[in-house]
This record gives sequence, structure tokens and C-alpha cells, in this order.
Amino acid sequence: MIQKIVVKTLIIVIGLFVISCKHSHENNYHTVTDKIEAKTVSPENLTITSKTFNENIKTVKFAEDGYEFLIPERKSQITSYNCTECHTQPIEKLKQNQVGEKAAHWNIKLAHAGVEIMNCATCHSNGNMDNLHSLTNSEIDFNYSYKLCSQCHQKEFKDWKGGAHGKQLGGWAPPRLSNTCVNCHNPHKPAFEKRWPVRFNTQKVKERQ
Amino acid sequence: MNNDNKKWYSLNLKKSPKVDSCGCGNDSGSCSGEKTKDGYDQVMNVSMGRRAAFKKITAGFLIGAGAVSSSCSVVSGDENKEKSGIEWEEYFKGNYKLMTDKEKEETVNRLTRSYELRTGEKINMTSKDAEKDVLFGYAFNISKCQGYMDCVNACVEENNQDRATEMQYIRIHEMEDGKGFNFEESDDNYYHEVPAEGHFYMGTQCFHCDNPPCVEVCPVQATWKEKDGIVVIDYDWCVGCRYCMAACPYDGRRFNWKTPEVPEQEVNKKQHYLGNRLRKKGVMEKCTFCIQRSREGQNPACVEACPTGARTFGNLLDPKSNIRWILENKKVFRLKEDLGTEPKFWYYMD
Repeated sequence: MIQKIVVKTLIIVIGLFVISCKHSHENNYHTVTDKIEAKTVSPENLTITSKTFNENIKTVKFAEDGYEFLIPERKSQITSYNCTECHTQPIEKLKQNQVGEKAAHWNIKLAHAGVEIMNCATCHSNGNMDNLHSLTNSEIDFNYSYKLCSQCHQKEFKDWKGGAHGKQLGGWAPPRLSNTCVNCHNPHKPAFEKRWPVRFNTQKVKERQ
Repeated sequence: MNNDNKKWYSLNLKKSPKVDSCGCGNDSGSCSGEKTKDGYDQVMNVSMGRRAAFKKITAGFLIGAGAVSSSCSVVSGDENKEKSGIEWEEYFKGNYKLMTDKEKEETVNRLTRSYELRTGEKINMTSKDAEKDVLFGYAFNISKCQGYMDCVNACVEENNQDRATEMQYIRIHEMEDGKGFNFEESDDNYYHEVPAEGHFYMGTQCFHCDNPPCVEVCPVQATWKEKDGIVVIDYDWCVGCRYCMAACPYDGRRFNWKTPEVPEQEVNKKQHYLGNRLRKKGVMEKCTFCIQRSREGQNPACVEACPTGARTFGNLLDPKSNIRWILENKKVFRLKEDLGTEPKFWYYMD
């Protein structure tokens, strides 16, 4: 009698164990992180591509620190590039002759760090105006202007390389094409401006009255 | 009626006990796809004869109602006949999960043709399946969101949401600094210049949980998790009970109280059966990670529209994807992680 009870209890316990414990099954994971880890594939085996969504964007390659992706080409997007098409004379000769005379690029107001830290010449070259220059005066191509920004904004640069800062264009699938700094930030005025939200839900107001 | 058929409410107690009980992390497209037959499958799989009987009964009713009479009528035009033919077929089609590829294609063709007959416009609908080795995930940078709501507009336009009730899948919550995530005191319908002083913004939508409670509660299996992790709804199978809405801890689901209306010129013609095709009255809908876009390799509309780059979308199984870098290098968290729903939507800060 007692034996029977013991056997029955054992069966129930084993049964419960079988029913409740599903994590021994193949392809079942305790958390989604486990699942991601277990099912990660090597990038070469991924077939889907977002090439078709990026076809119309002219790009250049970014390859630094083991990261490799595309960024939009810049020079062709700048109105009146090459600069030297107008700037045939050195800067010195372009100085205002009298007080009140409009300076070249008078419409650009620099709102980027303070005046004591930055002025036009921090990035733009006196010599070869078709290029930018770094703090140590080495030339930087307009297409690779992130090199300039990253001199100060190193944390943002690191996040951008990885993909946590900035915006991926077209599709999520490889090849990666990400906006470069100046595609979102106006380098002369890099902060995002305040503005009104693009929508207001009048129905929600009614529903909640 | 056939004697072999069980009554619809019968429980088959002789069946082996249900082994997969908690439903988390199942590899299959739906958690219940490979499960031991539950009430629904007992009815739908065992008793096709019963289904046929059901068809006959409804058919009798419909004949009475005159729906068929028009398709057989010699007086009504060819177009009318085709229309009621399509309606007839659509009425009796099965659950999307049980459809073969051919059946999927047929229903897509019927819906496309039906739209053309109604409006004279062509739509481009697909039933594209999940890609191999893809698991979609989403990351949201709270430091970056400025509360412009460009994402909401893009979503409404992309997904043909009802304009009259101003349905929106995405909510942007304006939260006060220093109070953390306090949804009770946050405002998701602000209208003033943003970002407002002393506030931060964060967006919510369907999080496409890996262990979705909404799927578990659906009494008719009209919603399920696809292989690429997207939780979808078969709008033609949904009975509108709104259990899923109640089960979702994130307020991710929306209900159509009326027939959604979209002005003809604003209808997004690029559609997916499980995505942005026009819904009807009395069914659930929600964010599908823009399935019609994401399955082609494109970013969802909200990601594309975001001017601040607060939104990142990608393949969690691709070790080189942006989303993976964020998960591995930023301090990420999810909402209500303790519930075990395993949302695939992470928040992070700069």
C-alpha cells in the first residue's frame, strides 16, 4: 500500500518535472539575449541587402578602427564648391575695406562652442580653401569632415562608429550607410533647434475628457 | 451532422499533457505552431468535416440573405459577380498560419482585385515570408529624442491608419526630468515648442516581445510571432475580443472602433498581408515594424523619419549590425523586464 503511494507520488513528481521544465528542449532559450547569442550568424552568410534603397546616394567609404561602412559623399552637395572658384585671392585680400561693409559669408553666424574656442579658421583653411584643416594644420577633405568633428567630440565619434549615434540611411541590412556628422548637424550651428511637434491628436483629447 | 465529429467544446482528456507550457523562445514562427493540439486545433485540425458542415450551414444562411443570388444572377453584371465571388472565397478562407504558399498568393490576389473593383486603383500587396537568419530588434535613444513626433506622422501615413479617429501606433511621452519613467504623470499629447525645458521624451509602440502575452491569450490564434520576431495579426481572422489589448503590458495594441478611412490619394499602395493593408471595423492592429518595408531590407518608416537618429532598427543575429553594437556597448534596458515578456525594444542613453 505504502509502496503504491510512493510510486504514484514519484510518477506525479516526474510528470510535473517533464511538463514544467521546457528549457532542456532544443531551440528554446531562457531569455532573448540567450537566443540572440545562440543564433548569431556570421555576416558573410546574410543574404538580404538594402542596396536598392541606397542606390541614389553618392557615397564614400569610412574605414577606421576596424569599422567599415559608407557615408554620403559631401563635396557634390555643397553649393558653390569648389571654394576656389570664387576665392581666387588669398583671404588677406578679402578683408573689409571699410566699417559696415558686408563681409563674405555674412549670413553665417557661428554658434558652435564659444568665440574664444572656435572661429572660421578653426576648420577652414587660409591656404587651400578647397580643403579643411585639423587643429594641427593637416589637410582634411570635405568628404571626411568627421575627422574634424572627432577632434573634440570623441565620445560621439565612438558612438557614431559603432552605430549608437547618428542615423542609418535606406535600410537596416548591409551594406551599412550612415549619415556623417554634417548630414544632421549644421557645422556652423550644430544644436538641434526647438520647434513645434508636427501633430496634435484632437481625438485623444476628446477621449480623455 | 457527421457522427465522427466532436462537439466544439469537447476536451480530449486522453491526449498527452501539454509539454510546452511557458511558450518562451520557441524557434517556430508561432509559439503554438508545433504545440500539442489545444482547443483550437482540436476543432480546426481534427474536424474538417465539421468545418464543411459549418460551411453548409452558413452557406444556407447566405443564400437566404441573397449574397449568392447575385453571383448566380443573370441580371447583375460581370463585375458584381466577380465581387461576390471574391467575397465568398474570402469569407471561407482559413487562418493565414495554416495557408499554403499558394493559398496565401490567392488571397493576396483576391484582396488586390477586390480593392481594384472597389476603387479602380491598383495596390501592390505581398505575403513575403520572414528571411532566414533575421531577428528584428529596435533601440531607442532617450537622450536624443526631442519630441518632434515626425515618427508618428510617418507611421500613420505608411501604415494606412484611420484618419478620422487619429489612430497612432507610436506614442511619444513627455516626461519630467528627475521623475524617471513616470507614465502616470507623463503627457503623450503635448502641443508646445519642444523639447520643453526640464523634460525628456521617450517613445513606445509594440515591442514585439519574444514571449508575447498577447499571443498567448488570443482565443482564435489570430495573432502570433513570426520567425523574424515580428508579432503580427491576421486581420481577417481576428474576432475583435480585445483580449490581447488587455494582456499587453505596454499599451501596444489598438482597436478599430470604426471602419478605418484613408483618403484615396493618401493610401500607401505598397502593402503586406500582415502589415499595412487596409483593416476593417472591429479588428486589432498595431505596429508591425513596417513588415512591408523591413522584410525587404528597408528601415521602418519611424526610423527613416526620425531627424535626430534616436531610433535604430536592425538584425539582432548580425554581429556587425548597429543594434548589436548598441546592445553590447551601451547601457540598455527595457520596460517592465521583470514580467518576462522579453521585449525586443531597448532603451539607452548617450
